Amino acid sequence: MSYILQSIFNGLLAGCIYALFAMGLTMVYRVLNFVNFAHGELIMWGAYLLYLFMGDPFHFPLYVALIPALGFTILLGLGMDWIVFKPLRRTNRLTLLIAALGISFFLRNGAQLFWGAELRTYGFEIKRGWRLFHISMTANQMAIILATLGCIIIVYLLLYRSIIGKAMRAVSDNLELARVTGINAKKTIRFTWIISSALACVGGILLALDTNLQPGMGMINLVKAFAAILLGGVGNVWGALWGGIFIGLAENLSVLFISTGYKDSIAFGMMVLLLLLRPRVLYGSQE
Amino acid sequence: MTESFLEVRDVYSGYGKIEVLHGVSLTVAPKEIVCVIGPNGSGKSTLLKTIVGLIQPTRGFIQFDGSEISHKEPEENVELGIAYIPQGKNIFPSLTVMENLEMGGISLKDSRKARNAIQEIWERYPILQKRRKIKAGSLSGGEKQVLAMARASILQPRLILLDEPSIGLAPKVIDEMYHHINRMNREGIPLLIVEQNARKALRLAHRAYVLDLGRNRLEDTGEGLLNNEEVQHLYLGR
Ligand SMILES: Nc1ncnc2c1ncn2[C@@H]1O[C@H](COP(=O)(O)OP(=O)(O)O)[C@@H](O)[C@H]1O
Ligand SMILES: [Mg+2]
Repeated sequence: MSYILQSIFNGLLAGCIYALFAMGLTMVYRVLNFVNFAHGELIMWGAYLLYLFMGDPFHFPLYVALIPALGFTILLGLGMDWIVFKPLRRTNRLTLLIAALGISFFLRNGAQLFWGAELRTYGFEIKRGWRLFHISMTANQMAIILATLGCIIIVYLLLYRSIIGKAMRAVSDNLELARVTGINAKKTIRFTWIISSALACVGGILLALDTNLQPGMGMINLVKAFAAILLGGVGNVWGALWGGIFIGLAENLSVLFISTGYKDSIAFGMMVLLLLLRPRVLYGSQE
Repeated sequence: MTESFLEVRDVYSGYGKIEVLHGVSLTVAPKEIVCVIGPNGSGKSTLLKTIVGLIQPTRGFIQFDGSEISHKEPEENVELGIAYIPQGKNIFPSLTVMENLEMGGISLKDSRKARNAIQEIWERYPILQKRRKIKAGSLSGGEKQVLAMARASILQPRLILLDEPSIGLAPKVIDEMYHHINRMNREGIPLLIVEQNARKALRLAHRAYVLDLGRNRLEDTGEGLLNNEEVQHLYLGR
């Protein structure tokens, strides 16, 4: 029994992180109408940038290092749009998809060149946490849940209470109408990349906090985020949130039945299945 | 000729390699309601999109209030005071009625001005105030059209381009719509209205054009076209 509870808890924990990835991915999809397959590298670079600023020669404490890590991840997101996606905006979706894969490859190899392929951690000692209803919880895990909740609240406030967030929803509803209404579409698109990259960075850091860092972490988590947005209805921010949590739960409950080694295949299988049902997502047609 | 506020002269335009307008000309004088009618696919919507800058003309000349706007972007034209209300999807469905109106005023530097404008809209269209917290996507067809016109009015446009305002609406709702349109015009705003179901629009219009296969076909007063036998036969279904 407690094993099941623990699995549910672990599932929620993983799901929180996937949700952050998926929300950012789906937002870019909603506004720009394409799946950014380089989103995973924003996750990975976000995590590594924190590692960079906490290590030689900076040795910033976590809370200080967070600021440049976020800042540079956002620049990376804005940069990939500016340099690659923006010039391709009017081409067909397949070109964008291939460009995104290209960026992904480039960024992954860049990180590997810089930090090597081996597993790394932030080097916090794992403190024994609390036990609650037979569930053990470390301080890191507590932080993950709180940070996710914080991010969700911020995203909610931005989207529904700030004028730029409302403009972003308007642009995703209808870009042409937004332009003739006087909404600054370029500014809105930049804002979307900022939020999406920031969520990727925070999620990547949380993931690395709970597990470890490796250059391949972006790719594998992109699959989960992608499965989550397919599950939640592509372009639906709250759908992505629930999709992410669902995938986290499904993975962690699956270990009750199958070997842990196959855990990652759950999201992959779900992605393939959902893509078979709705293949048009890859070409950027809204539902 | 009358002094023209908007002039479209021999405009060619289309989508990529597909040319839809093959030399269209028209004028709108200050305070005038001008109507363009024509069968489905004749290029009426394309004409309005070209004027507002969503598509660029390949040839020809467009002038608004004395300055050329042939190749301006939609954002610039909005700033100049051109409001464009597209056919069909002319509201943001996932935004509330209130948020739709906020978007209408987003380019105003002075946010107080936007708030005042919205206050005026509540007085003018009480139905919108009643529905202000509802998602615009769940409004009725007529309410959507009213919302679209109200949103466009926030920037106090100097010209309104209106694409098929009565499409898909019940006759009673159409009457109401034209009542609003007429009121806007009486306040001094010129309108260029495109309609396929033309009788109502022609009755209101000072002047009107018939567009066919991307070319000008006829031009007359609204009354004149209404009584024109050819027009009656071809476009008014009589
Ligand atoms: N986005 C588009 N891409 C290509 N062709 C289009 C597009 N929109 C309209 N057309 C074509 O342009 C022609 C004129 O369309 P439109 O201006 O919408 O006519 P109307 O508004 O008079 O019904 C039609 O043949 C239509 O198929
Ligand atoms: Mg049309």
